[in-house]
Amino acid sequence: MAEPSVIDAHAMLGRETYLQLDADELLRRMDAAGVETAVARPMGAGLVVDHVEGNNLVLKAGSRIRGLVTANPWWGAKALDELARCRDLGAVGLFLDPSRQGFFPTEEVAEPVFERAAEYGWPVMVRTGAYIYADVLALAAVAKKFPATVFIAGFGGYADMWFELPVAIRATPNLILDASMIWGAAVRDVVNEHGPSRVLFGGAEPRNRYAVNLKMIDRLGLDESARRAILHDNARRIYGI
Amino acid sequence: MRIIDFHAHLDDRWLHKAIPPAAEMIAALDRFGVEAACVYTIMGFYGDCPRHNDALLERTEAYPDRLIPFVTVDPKEGQAAVDELERCLAFPQFRGVKFHPWLQAFASSMLQETTVALLKVAARHRAPVLYHDGTPPYSTTFQIADVARWVPEATVVLGHAGSADYTDPAAQLIRDLPNLYGCFCGSRPGDLLHLVATGGADKILFGSDFDPGCWEILAERIDNTTEAGLSPDDLDKVLYRNTERLLRPVTSKVPGGAA
Repeated sequence: MAEPSVIDAHAMLGRETYLQLDADELLRRMDAAGVETAVARPMGAGLVVDHVEGNNLVLKAGSRIRGLVTANPWWGAKALDELARCRDLGAVGLFLDPSRQGFFPTEEVAEPVFERAAEYGWPVMVRTGAYIYADVLALAAVAKKFPATVFIAGFGGYADMWFELPVAIRATPNLILDASMIWGAAVRDVVNEHGPSRVLFGGAEPRNRYAVNLKMIDRLGLDESARRAILHDNARRIYGI
Repeated sequence: MRIIDFHAHLDDRWLHKAIPPAAEMIAALDRFGVEAACVYTIMGFYGDCPRHNDALLERTEAYPDRLIPFVTVDPKEGQAAVDELERCLAFPQFRGVKFHPWLQAFASSMLQETTVALLKVAARHRAPVLYHDGTPPYSTTFQIADVARWVPEATVVLGHAGSADYTDPAAQLIRDLPNLYGCFCGSRPGDLLHLVATGGADKILFGSDFDPGCWEILAERIDNTTEAGLSPDDLDKVLYRNTERLLRPVTSKVPGGAA
């Protein structure tokens, strides 16, 4: 059977502290790894304060890179306007980073952007892993409040909240694992307990590397349908691409 | 490519989950071309360090060239912890010390006097001291860097070189504190490039955090290192030479004077 074409559910464009990646370099890495499509979100200033520039970076990166856009909930009405602009430019989902953007997922200020994502039928990826603002269980609480929206645990609780994932995913049918930063044993636990439909392959470029994560998926020893789901079908379904 | 793993665990269980014996760890090391691994307890972080130190020594004794045990003591025990460290470091097999403040439930700032005493013992024995780092509230990278400042003659290693969120502070602290090193253990190739560029290739050591029940993690952590695009010389330092240099030297002295 032919190898499934690969969709990367989580790449990052822009510049943040020691990480930097532009669309041309991401495309080069995708080609080298056999990745057909990447869903990218902004990082650095584009993620935290300058959303128009950050979102444009991921929305205008060409046909093989699809935009996972952001809007800081503290922007209020401006955030909703920015999301509307991004929808018109072809965005496929919402990305939030509560630690970097300074809010609790369960905080009232965040509710309008979740409502807007639900209205657009977008999945919502939320960076999880650092305690307090990026608590996996806080995301699960929000996901229960919006049961028709798919929520993706960005980075999968990496590093030290990974052990909350199996319970959170069991209790939250609309919560999906982004496997871009988490190790194979944790991914296997989720696949074994909840099935491959709950896992998205991601590259986390430029922090991680496609080669690392594709080998990680190989070592899981999945059957063909499970492998296809994680590498391709789940992302296609969830992002509508 | 020569590899020593500076950060692995060998125990009979983690909480309720049984862990396979040392022979399976050796099989994993063989499979991925790892010459040796520094091994720490797991359950010893939760209590009764002396019993776990003895057990670790026993588990490694069949593989003296492959498994390098690190001693763990509980700083909350005060002088008893210092005595236990002295007891264990009298065994030449113990070539380093491991603390896990998060699991061991202490902040070094609460136990500064004991911490200083412990690190001075380790320094006298030329044993590197690895602390879990990257996790609030007891194991932030800044907290561990403070420990290195208190005892400049000790060799202190950040057990995860910042882990998920402290990579940049870790890189700066490793650069600025001569006795602070970073174990690249769990973070990703992009992080490694920054750690090496800022902290220096001489101060970063490869570690996996694997135990005999999860060989895949060893493979993934090697991939994290080799896929970063380091120069061959820097890669050799990270995977092998830095650990070889930092480990407590092997001596023939054992308790009781036996050869």
